[in-house]
Amino acid sequence: MHQISASFERTLKEFLRNRSVVFWTIAWPSIWVLIYSLLFTKEVPKHAVPYVRTSITISMMTFALTIAGMANLPANIARDRESGLFAKLKSMPLTPWKDILGRLSALTVFSAIASILVAITGVLCGARFSGTCDHVIRSILFLLIALLASAGIGLILGSFIQNVQGVIMGGVGICVVMASISGIFSSYASLPPILQKLSRVYPISSANSISIYLLAGESVAGYNPLGQAASTVASSLLIFFIGLILYHRILWRGE
Amino acid sequence: MYAIFTENLIKEYQNHQILKGINLKIEEGEFYALMGPNGSGKSTLASIIASVRRPTEGEVKIYGKRPELMRGIIGYLPQESFLSPLLTGMENLTYFARLMGYSRHDAKKISSELIERVGLTDHANKKVSDYSGGMKRILEIATLLFPGIKILILDEPTAGLDPSARRMFFDILKEIREEDTAVTVLMITHIGTDAEVASRVGLMDDGRIIAEGTPEELKEMCSLTEVVDIETSMKNEKILEILNKLSSNGRVLETENGYRVYCSNSEEVISEIVTALNRAGCKIVKMESKRPSLEDVFFKLTGKRLRGEQDASDIR
Repeated sequence: MHQISASFERTLKEFLRNRSVVFWTIAWPSIWVLIYSLLFTKEVPKHAVPYVRTSITISMMTFALTIAGMANLPANIARDRESGLFAKLKSMPLTPWKDILGRLSALTVFSAIASILVAITGVLCGARFSGTCDHVIRSILFLLIALLASAGIGLILGSFIQNVQGVIMGGVGICVVMASISGIFSSYASLPPILQKLSRVYPISSANSISIYLLAGESVAGYNPLGQAASTVASSLLIFFIGLILYHRILWRGE
Repeated sequence: MYAIFTENLIKEYQNHQILKGINLKIEEGEFYALMGPNGSGKSTLASIIASVRRPTEGEVKIYGKRPELMRGIIGYLPQESFLSPLLTGMENLTYFARLMGYSRHDAKKISSELIERVGLTDHANKKVSDYSGGMKRILEIATLLFPGIKILILDEPTAGLDPSARRMFFDILKEIREEDTAVTVLMITHIGTDAEVASRVGLMDDGRIIAEGTPEELKEMCSLTEVVDIETSMKNEKILEILNKLSSNGRVLETENGYRVYCSNSEEVISEIVTALNRAGCKIVKMESKRPSLEDVFFKLTGKRLRGEQDASDIR
């Protein structure tokens, strides 16, 4: 337990003390919530504006935790790999599972902080969350599923790409491109049919749609995504476990 | 039972044999220095003993057990800096203490004692990014001082240290060994003066240990008694040829400002050198006779320099 909490505290402190991590994970999505909510809702019927703002806020919360999982986590791993920390860790009485559990706990707490701050920005801009308490809990669970899938992709990147710059570029690139083509940055209805299919299969956009559906309604989500909930959970878990296995085999295996 | 034991250790990487059958036996409480040039395989050997890497063939035992099972008593100092620049010195040390299994309270207590011991109390709460290179290395050395560590594997521990930090490092090492005579040290270095401190030295070249013994034994083994350093006004092939004839076994090392001549009787050789160089029109700026170092022993045995990348090209 001491080792897990040591890894957790160290990683969380590193996330919170790294200005670029804080900017891209917290400030950047919050700025977009502001811009979208205030400038791009003029064409929307007045009664629908709060729900569109809710949709934007949830999408940016998803974006924040996707960046955290796909860029911050692997960058943290790559930095430790570059610096020689992994050589030190491998010689210590520490198992890879305790190390990664600490890192993932820190990622979860940091992502939660980022998501809450983005949500507060959204509410201040006029977003209104509907739905019951059960809907809120379920949407939080699906945001965690999106974080799991992002962390899985992050672990895959962190296992294969050795330098910090490369891993950040790779993580941000995948995150932004996939968010653009899978309907996180735009509405589901505006996507061409092939990308609508992608939006349903890509676990992060699917989890995002489920959260929007639960907290803003079907008309804002563009469709009812609850039918794909099981496949979203399954594919997220699959990606996450692939990431974990690669992390263990590539980074912790004695060469 | 040996504290560190390796038998026929072979390491291959990308079809290249880095270690070619290393047999190493280090007794408990011994201070063993492994000396060799860059690329000789010493760091690979250290990382295998520290259970960071796996050998391709052969076996490693720490007190008769596999190193993976003995991680709690191994203190490994890799060549690269492993501290987090975003954490303070105290936070870094506490992190490693907790990885050793200490509770938060005990880890903080032990870390503050160690910070004081290595003289970094005034900098304990500063971020490591504000530390100098020497301070970082000293803090890294503090991670080896947690109670229970019995085997220290130090990979180039003095690299980047200024003379006072280097002195401090050896003082700490002496203290540790005086406090607990069972502590075994394996130090990887390419600096002869660092290796002189050890009780036994192994010279490593091209994946093999080519000679082993106390520093004095190694010098006797090569019949190296003296070296003459000559600073000359010019350097050329003709001068090299002259010095080559006067040196023992025909070995002359080209240095930055002149040459180093290996000999058994410097008094005779010095007068011969003066006469020969004067005749050749070469002015001698400075000349001194020295006791040979372990670096000289290595050069004598292999024809390679320990520092820098030059090797056979230096042999004339």
